[in-house]
Amino acid sequence: MNTTQFERGTVNQLRIHVLPTKRFKTFAISLYIGFPLQEETVTKVALTPFVLRRGTASYPETTQFREQLEHLYGAGFALDVYKRGDYQIVQFRMDTINDSFVQSDESLLEKSFNFLGEVLTKPVTENGHFRTSYVQAERETIRKKMEAIVNDKIRYAAERCIEEMCKDEPYRLHPLGKREDLAGIEAAELYNAYQDWLQNAVMDLYVVGDTTSEEVEQLVKKSFDMQRTSSPSYSQTRAITGVKEVKTVEEAMNVSQGKLNMGLRTSITYGDDKYAPALLYNGILGGYPHSKLFRNVREKASLAYYASSRYDGHKGIGTIQSGIEIQNYKKALDIIQKQLESMRAGEISELEMIQTKAMISNALREIEDSAFEMIAFDFNRQLSGKERSTSELLEQVQRVTVQDVVAAAQTFELDTVYFLKGQKEE
Amino acid sequence: MERIQYPNLQETLYYEVMDNGLQVYVLPKPGFSKTYATFSTKYGSIDNHFRVEGQEEVKVPDGIAHFLEHKMFEEPEGDIFATFSSQGASANAFTSFDQTVYLFSATEQIDANLETLINFVQHPYFTDQNVEKEKGIIGQEIQMYQDNPDWRVYFGLIEALYKVHPVRIDIAGTVESIGTITKETLYKCYHTFYHPSNMLLFIVGGVEPEHVFKLVRDNQAKKSFEPQGNIERLFDEEPSEVAEPRKVAKLAVSMPKCLFGFKETELGLTGEALVRRDLTTKLMLDLLFGSSTSLYQKLYDEELISDSFGYEYNSNPNYAFSAIGGDTKDPDLLLQRIREEVDKIREKGFTASDFERLRKKKIGGYLRMLNSPENIAHEFTRYKFRDSDLFAVLPLYEAITLDEVNERLRSHIDWSKLAVSIVVSPS
Repeated sequence: MNTTQFERGTVNQLRIHVLPTKRFKTFAISLYIGFPLQEETVTKVALTPFVLRRGTASYPETTQFREQLEHLYGAGFALDVYKRGDYQIVQFRMDTINDSFVQSDESLLEKSFNFLGEVLTKPVTENGHFRTSYVQAERETIRKKMEAIVNDKIRYAAERCIEEMCKDEPYRLHPLGKREDLAGIEAAELYNAYQDWLQNAVMDLYVVGDTTSEEVEQLVKKSFDMQRTSSPSYSQTRAITGVKEVKTVEEAMNVSQGKLNMGLRTSITYGDDKYAPALLYNGILGGYPHSKLFRNVREKASLAYYASSRYDGHKGIGTIQSGIEIQNYKKALDIIQKQLESMRAGEISELEMIQTKAMISNALREIEDSAFEMIAFDFNRQLSGKERSTSELLEQVQRVTVQDVVAAAQTFELDTVYFLKGQKEE
Repeated sequence: MERIQYPNLQETLYYEVMDNGLQVYVLPKPGFSKTYATFSTKYGSIDNHFRVEGQEEVKVPDGIAHFLEHKMFEEPEGDIFATFSSQGASANAFTSFDQTVYLFSATEQIDANLETLINFVQHPYFTDQNVEKEKGIIGQEIQMYQDNPDWRVYFGLIEALYKVHPVRIDIAGTVESIGTITKETLYKCYHTFYHPSNMLLFIVGGVEPEHVFKLVRDNQAKKSFEPQGNIERLFDEEPSEVAEPRKVAKLAVSMPKCLFGFKETELGLTGEALVRRDLTTKLMLDLLFGSSTSLYQKLYDEELISDSFGYEYNSNPNYAFSAIGGDTKDPDLLLQRIREEVDKIREKGFTASDFERLRKKKIGGYLRMLNSPENIAHEFTRYKFRDSDLFAVLPLYEAITLDEVNERLRSHIDWSKLAVSIVVSPS
């Protein structure tokens, strides 16, 4: 296993993490910008990167902006907005070819930094704020994206379940914000929000590739035109526990397949010492094709094509999802609840332990083969404040006993059952 | 064991053909923790009518290649996923129009996992009971896709383009068609298409080539396969015109979905000629519809397209088509505007500077793809099944000329070969 470490530095309160390696054909660059998830700012923070991707001072027109990326041998440029715990994360990613593979007379890494730095710190402006036409167009883009969620029923059901479950927490908010707020956000107001975000958001910049931390620090100094005075960092999200009563929500829509989603709460979060047992819990329950959910809902009862579980350690929740025949709702729910009970009762075989440990360990070892996955794993540390390398986590996973998993199982409490059903079944 | 070096890509590929005809390729990736292996057969949803040299002609139910893929995972001692899990390997499989691929990814016990992969794919085990059980599971998979508007608009387009070619069949078939599948039909397809001479094994990762070849050689030596003649795939003649110029499906969507495409009529290309047309067409589509083009920006500003707008080109020796579109508030207006603007560009052709810039983009995209062992394995196999070489793509990109792309623009964008597929909410 490779044990290369990220080299750390800070420029302008921007934390820099560099992993020098020749293993890849590209430079992987990832910029994480985190801001507390809250009602008043969520929509503006979501809208900001969409406006930033329309044009910069040097490439004010969107076609120019995108042509520039093509000049850089089609550098990958991606933008993502999502939730991690009680934070709203904006992530910019670039993936640029290492110059040694192409006949380039310029440093593609330097050009990429110039580009990314400009995107973040030198947007095209008019009258001291964002270009109005870009703000209007991107409001529309976000509105369409939010409305389109319902097209993908698997995703829609998953998001609705979380929304119902976390009704009274910031986590109910969608990472793209609130549709009703969009129309009222004007260019000047958004520009002010952007300035505040630039000043106060937590920023982590990652680079993996054939470079050094000295080179990256120089590039950041040159290309990121900002003066940040505060040095924000992430504070830990506290898990919410103590479910009083299981909520059941049913929704009818014109669908041919029903979607059964369940939300569970646990006190175990990423930074917890019991994180490894919680990973095992999820793996045995529904993380893999050897897991209880796949075997019992799909293979034994032939009720579903997919039946699985997920565990989000940043928020302290578990989810279960399955697509079933609408009239099989009670049958599927019953089988799933039996699996949850059997986990709590410790009905866990030695084989299930071996298989699940082997699968989790494999996933952890595979991280080293992908630049962006190494970055994502390391970012968990920034987010949770918990220092734990992949090899340390591997060791912890190996040491987990059945008793540990059973103890973890007691912390997972069913909170919400959500069922998306057809309209004609009433 | 043969060795091919690709100095431009800093890659070395090793290969060997086994006595029974199985092709094996190994791409060592020094420093990588994981090994990724695919075991593929040149057999997909379009192969529903065939004849093996010296045998009778056979027609099989729609969706059988995909059904077979599901059933391969079952062994007398249980589900093979359990074995892979015990050996720390993440396994999966997928079926497309023209291939079925079984795969695993692992960081340890590579030999054991490789043996498991080869052995389970070379050991069919079908019973009346396990075939029946699978119908419920696949039925749910089919229903899941029925509720997915992107899938519906895509297959709607293929159905609109093709009258008879089996590419128009949904890969998973229908609940009715899979209902007629029996263990006998599964064995028939299995023995025809899973013969080693129709298959390819690709291994990429931190492995030592000679060690892998020895393992595969020894494994294959223990099994016997009857020699098999050529497989003749039978296709009824497909008319050159589209089946239906406009096809509309109803499904609840936030905004209509519109996908249109052109049916390629020059067929029968293979090897480098097929790849070259493929790359040229994709470059042409980038020049026409890419997100940096003025056409894209105009349509975006007119609020006729969104980030969901995209395009692809799907080609095979006996069918090829483009698929272009996304969400739009007004499918007819979008098509009208595209037609107006594309006709103007079609007349003038693309400029040399746009062409060079997008060629660079394509080369960069190709090199980035090579960072991923998964992509390498999938793409390499896809290319090989078309008698071509994934690692020879760079010189082809360099050889393509502006004239060639302009010529492709004029030949592919032929409005008489256009079909449109639309998904709208029921009113």
